[in-house]
Amino acid sequence: MNRISEIFLKELVVEFRQKYALGGIFLFSATIVFLVYKVFNQVSGLEWSIMLWIITLFAGLNAIVKSFVQEKKETYLYYYSLFDPLELITAKLIYNILFLGLLFVSILIFMSLFLGFPVKDPTLFFMGSTLGLTGIAIILTFVSLIANSEQSGSTLMSVLSIPLILPIMMLLLKITAVSLRLISDTSVDQDVWMLAGIDAIMLGTVIVLFPFLWRS
Amino acid sequence: MIQKGMWWKLSGIILFLYVLWGGMTIPLRPGITSINPSSAKTGDTIELKATGYNTHFASVRNGRAWLKLDSVHAIKALTWQAKNDNELTFRFILPQTLPNATEVFPLHLIIDNETDGAFVHPNALFLSSSTDTLSFDAIPWTKHELGQFNDHQGIQFPYRSILNETIRNTFFHVALWFAMFLLLIFGVVYSIRYLSTSDYEFDRKASAYTNIAVLYGIFGILTGSVWAKFTWNTFWTNDVKLNMTAIALLIYLAYIILRGMNYDQDKRARLAAIYNIFAFIALIPLVFVIPRMTDSLHPGNGGNPALGGEDLDHTLRMFFYPSILALFLIGKWIAELTIRFERVKDHFYLKKS
Repeated sequence: MNRISEIFLKELVVEFRQKYALGGIFLFSATIVFLVYKVFNQVSGLEWSIMLWIITLFAGLNAIVKSFVQEKKETYLYYYSLFDPLELITAKLIYNILFLGLLFVSILIFMSLFLGFPVKDPTLFFMGSTLGLTGIAIILTFVSLIANSEQSGSTLMSVLSIPLILPIMMLLLKITAVSLRLISDTSVDQDVWMLAGIDAIMLGTVIVLFPFLWRS
Repeated sequence: MIQKGMWWKLSGIILFLYVLWGGMTIPLRPGITSINPSSAKTGDTIELKATGYNTHFASVRNGRAWLKLDSVHAIKALTWQAKNDNELTFRFILPQTLPNATEVFPLHLIIDNETDGAFVHPNALFLSSSTDTLSFDAIPWTKHELGQFNDHQGIQFPYRSILNETIRNTFFHVALWFAMFLLLIFGVVYSIRYLSTSDYEFDRKASAYTNIAVLYGIFGILTGSVWAKFTWNTFWTNDVKLNMTAIALLIYLAYIILRGMNYDQDKRARLAAIYNIFAFIALIPLVFVIPRMTDSLHPGNGGNPALGGEDLDHTLRMFFYPSILALFLIGKWIAELTIRFERVKDHFYLKKS
């Protein structure tokens, strides 16, 4: 536990050392939100929910792609001798989930600033979002591990991760639409459980497979 | 000369030829395609014109027909006039009263003769009361007994309205998905074995099986698309299974791209194996859970029956299960050829360098 928090703190420090990259990601999301605002001028609830998730997806892709690329190979060798793979992946996952959450909240703030906040059922909305973001962060972390140390990393990253994220995205859009009262669905709890189930499966798989990936 | 390992390849081909021959030549069971008129009032004497499919109305001696409400209430046709084998007229005298307190009755038409056997056209005629005051009397409805039905002769596929002749696609479309899933399981098992042994042979196998499974998936979508055109009248619908399959195909196409990347062999094999396992696990909710929870046009979803009852009767099973096996064996053969090619290629390159 202690080691996990140490790795976590290390990630944070590394991230904050590169203030420009960090700022770039947030600026990217703000710019896209402003672009959407100028393109649509007036958005309906449906467009709002779609734009929110599309922006989050691509900003998240940009943010997490460097999660395993930003450090040198030698550093990795050092970690390899230092940490247990389970501790490392746990810390990375926690960090990425929180980071994606932060990104999402900032996008949400920009969106509400420019385009309003049409959510009618905040509990459902935030619960669905939390679960969905967890799933997206897990998949992105996993794929960034596969796609790292390659020149065409970011292309491969989107090609590999977007199909895996699609089912989560579809559930998320449905939950968001229900929480915006765009559609009414009495069985929306089922979708939330489904999302939690997908998260759990993905998490388990990543934890099982990570030691194999780690050996490079 | 019979080579070792030849028997399953040959049996795959023979089984597939059997499925092609049987699936394409065996006729459908007789059925009714249309009925005129489709509604009537009590007390009418109606001339009912039925158009049949694969029927032998003119050549039978002992043809009978009933309009049936349920197992107790039915009325028998008075006459049987066949214009030709597929067109038939019969006269019914409908009773003055309805059997119980419902305003409109859907009546099922049952036709029976010694060649075609008995067959049913559900909801053939809608019967309503001719007077405003509803009077009920079940007695005129119980006078006619349904009697002994004949069995149809020979092997025939079930006649299903809407599906009609396209029911044969079961042997190809549905069997392709089953075979694809079997091949994917083989692929993922080889991936797991690669991770535990680091033997390139398993990597080649995993890749070959997954590739052929993706090919089957594309064929499955194409055959499904053609089927949808003739039954749902569109090549692509927003049906949940279609969307999930499209996603699954995207995931596996990404696998092929990852496998084709220019990494060194060890890394490429390991990454491909890991992604393959992850993709397979991600596929399970996609294919087995989400479609079950959502309404779908496919059988087995949203209350539609699947692989049971009259939809997959024993005549269809006779070709459906062999078809899965045949497609799987052919897929295994193609995978085997790819594996041998890859093995030779790797051997050649390693020798050269």
